[in-house]
Amino acid sequence: MSADQISIIIVEDEPEFRRRFAQIIDSEPTMRLAGVAANKREAQALIDREEFDVMLIDLGLPDGTGIDLIRNVSQRKPDVDIMVVTVFGDEQHVVSSIEAGATGYILKDSTPADVISCIRLLRAGGSPVSPVVARSVLRAIRSRMGGATTSSNTVPPRSANAENNPLSARETEILQLLAKGMSFNEIGEILGISPHTVTAHIKKIYRKLAVHSRGEAVYEASQMGLLKT
Amino acid sequence: MPFSVSVPGCPSRRLRALAAAAGLLLFAASAMGAIPVRKLEWSFVAPDAQAPAADADGKAGQVATYDLPLHWSSVEGSSLRTVAMRLHFVLPAVPDQPWAVLLAHATEGGRFSINGKYIGSISADSEQRDVSWRRPQLLTLDPGLLVEGDNQLLIETTYGPGAHTLSGVEVGPLGELWNSYARLYFGEIIWTWSGATMALLTALVFGALWLHRREAVARLLALAALCWLVYCGTWLVEVMPVALRLSVRVAALAALAGFVATISITLMRMSGLSRRREEWLIGIYAALGPVLALATGLRAEPYLQLSWQPGLYLVLGAATGVGLYRRTRGQPAPHPLVLFAAAALLLAALLDIGSLLGLNSLDGAPALNFVAPLMLVALATPLVDGLIRTMHETEAARIELETRVREREQLLKRNFERLRESERIKVESQERQRIMQDMHDGLGSQLMSALMLVERGAVSNDQFAQILRESIDDMRLAIDALTGEDADLTAALGNLRFRMEPRLRAAGMELAWDARRLPEEIGLHPDVVLPILRIVQEALTNALKHSRARAVRVVLMVEGTGDQRMLDIRIADNGAGISEERVGGRGLLNMRNRAQKIGAQLKLETAPNVGTTVHLRFRIGPVVPSTRAQQTVLNTQAIIERARQQ
Repeated sequence: MSADQISIIIVEDEPEFRRRFAQIIDSEPTMRLAGVAANKREAQALIDREEFDVMLIDLGLPDGTGIDLIRNVSQRKPDVDIMVVTVFGDEQHVVSSIEAGATGYILKDSTPADVISCIRLLRAGGSPVSPVVARSVLRAIRSRMGGATTSSNTVPPRSANAENNPLSARETEILQLLAKGMSFNEIGEILGISPHTVTAHIKKIYRKLAVHSRGEAVYEASQMGLLKT
Repeated sequence: MPFSVSVPGCPSRRLRALAAAAGLLLFAASAMGAIPVRKLEWSFVAPDAQAPAADADGKAGQVATYDLPLHWSSVEGSSLRTVAMRLHFVLPAVPDQPWAVLLAHATEGGRFSINGKYIGSISADSEQRDVSWRRPQLLTLDPGLLVEGDNQLLIETTYGPGAHTLSGVEVGPLGELWNSYARLYFGEIIWTWSGATMALLTALVFGALWLHRREAVARLLALAALCWLVYCGTWLVEVMPVALRLSVRVAALAALAGFVATISITLMRMSGLSRRREEWLIGIYAALGPVLALATGLRAEPYLQLSWQPGLYLVLGAATGVGLYRRTRGQPAPHPLVLFAAAALLLAALLDIGSLLGLNSLDGAPALNFVAPLMLVALATPLVDGLIRTMHETEAARIELETRVREREQLLKRNFERLRESERIKVESQERQRIMQDMHDGLGSQLMSALMLVERGAVSNDQFAQILRESIDDMRLAIDALTGEDADLTAALGNLRFRMEPRLRAAGMELAWDARRLPEEIGLHPDVVLPILRIVQEALTNALKHSRARAVRVVLMVEGTGDQRMLDIRIADNGAGISEERVGGRGLLNMRNRAQKIGAQLKLETAPNVGTTVHLRFRIGPVVPSTRAQQTVLNTQAIIERARQQ
């Protein structure tokens, strides 16, 4: 295995898609397929056995949800990029994956070029996001802050609960522009930064959301007496 | 002239002890008590003076003998007269302790001498001054002035018009007479002062009560108390300028009449008899006395005291009688305490008239002075009682109201919860229906027609992929429109761009997307969001499939405020335009139908080789700041608040 190759594992229960993704990666010389798994059990074994850089994972596995696997990997292997494979890129799936530690998502019907460029972007420190997901991330963070959870046209005052808001002003701004449907290029132009920096910001936001929700989970667990203090 | 008393020399302790020893030996002398004086010798001093009323024939220098108590009067307007009154008393022995002269009831003052030796003076009537003492007088005596056997007390005094009294003259040991003096002083002066104070307080309290609550009984009581206060004032003014005499006497009569009349009216009101005419008659009768006294310059006063005043008491008696009668019949009647006080008042009035007629020997303050304050207390008692009861009732009512409000609040809360629950269920079922409908109309029929085509073998692989891709696109639109509680049109449109841009670029088309004039969020119902998304997607798909354009420009904006807030979307390409026969095609028809369904305007401008512009305008209305649930909560709170205030 060459040092600059990106090693990838695939966790996907549908054989057709598993084959398709494997094929896309195999045909890309800078990437290497480290293994495939069709269910949670196999995936866990694969994770324990293999060293890899990227995990492509479908959430709906026959023996349970992939969220646990995402959480597991993101905690044990923080250098690994986790990419959720989703049919619609909808709020529910994507946001909970991000909270578990995923830093990217890709639609199942993406073209091979899309898949490759998305993995490259991830490894380069960036992360793409759709407007609806950006909006959902904003909402998730605002509800953490105790602000309005419903769609209100006004941004809750930042000072109100600033210590709970993990995002910087720049990150919030980027999410807001993304939610309006701006492209990375346009946002880069508006803010005077490169499109790549925009996607890097997004990845940071994802990480913060994951860390934040993990902190909350720990807090809740200790509240319920699940953890020994 | 100031009241002056000769102070006897104070014997030393040893002398007093000796005196005590001697007292045991000389029992008769030392056990000597106060000696009442029963007779006096009257002689006018001025040559033109007339005899007192008791003896109209008296001449100056002539000596007349009268029994004590002595009442005399001189008519209004008569001049001052000077008289010498000699009172004799016999001492079995000369006392060895300080003695004194007590005048229990002496309206006049004068110059006092014992056995020709001056012992003191008390102010008496003069040209400027009218004196009428209500208080007792005590003059100390040096026992050295006294002699064994007959002693003479000389009072030289002047008196003006009006009724005068001298009674209760005693000579005796200072200690013994001091006690009597104190007792008398309390009864005549202190008690009247107390009555005045009580009347003042009653007037203030019930006056305030009347001013604030307009309670009729409180007004009557305040009026009665005020009358009594004035009466006490006239009683307690013992020395005044002659010029004021008339007004003070009239005020005294008016105050007394006012008091008795008000009490009578109060008793009637308490008996449930509130008759205007009778009350006016009582008022007029009460005013009659003072008016007559004023008109005659007090000449009518003695007659009024014997005719008009008893008539006033008769009115009080009648009111009391009616109250008593009604109480025995179980009808609305004054409080028993009030009736008792009224009876006492009547008895006092009777005694006063009796003493005026000389039927009894009650001198000094009228019995009325003692009883009237009790009447005020008796009247105030049921009122205060009622007030306290009202306060208790108010408190109980408040507590009950609060309890009811709280119960109501609970009920409202429960109802509200139930309402919200049923609303939630309704919304959910509507949502489900909408999704079903959507699947049926959109994805379902698309897949169904795809199936038909594939079964017929009428489609190529590419066409089949195209159909499926469109189906999936449509589903994505539905999911974008359904995301969140309120769909955010801004983000959903953004998503559309996010998805379409790579496809357009792959087909060699540049997509310019201008969302600068869109607000950060547009919260709209999914029923509206989905058709808008479909129209935009359809327009983009048409451009992609048919226009052969190099660039597509999408301009999105929201303009206007309030009800006139409009969403304005233009999708323009620089392609070939839409040919005549395709303008009526299925895709465009679909767009028009969708626009019509949500009440939006859709305009299509197309020109060959210039391009096509799809222009959608939709009224989105004002920004809704809060969800419906929050508004309902607010309404509930407003209702509770209103209930509290009532």
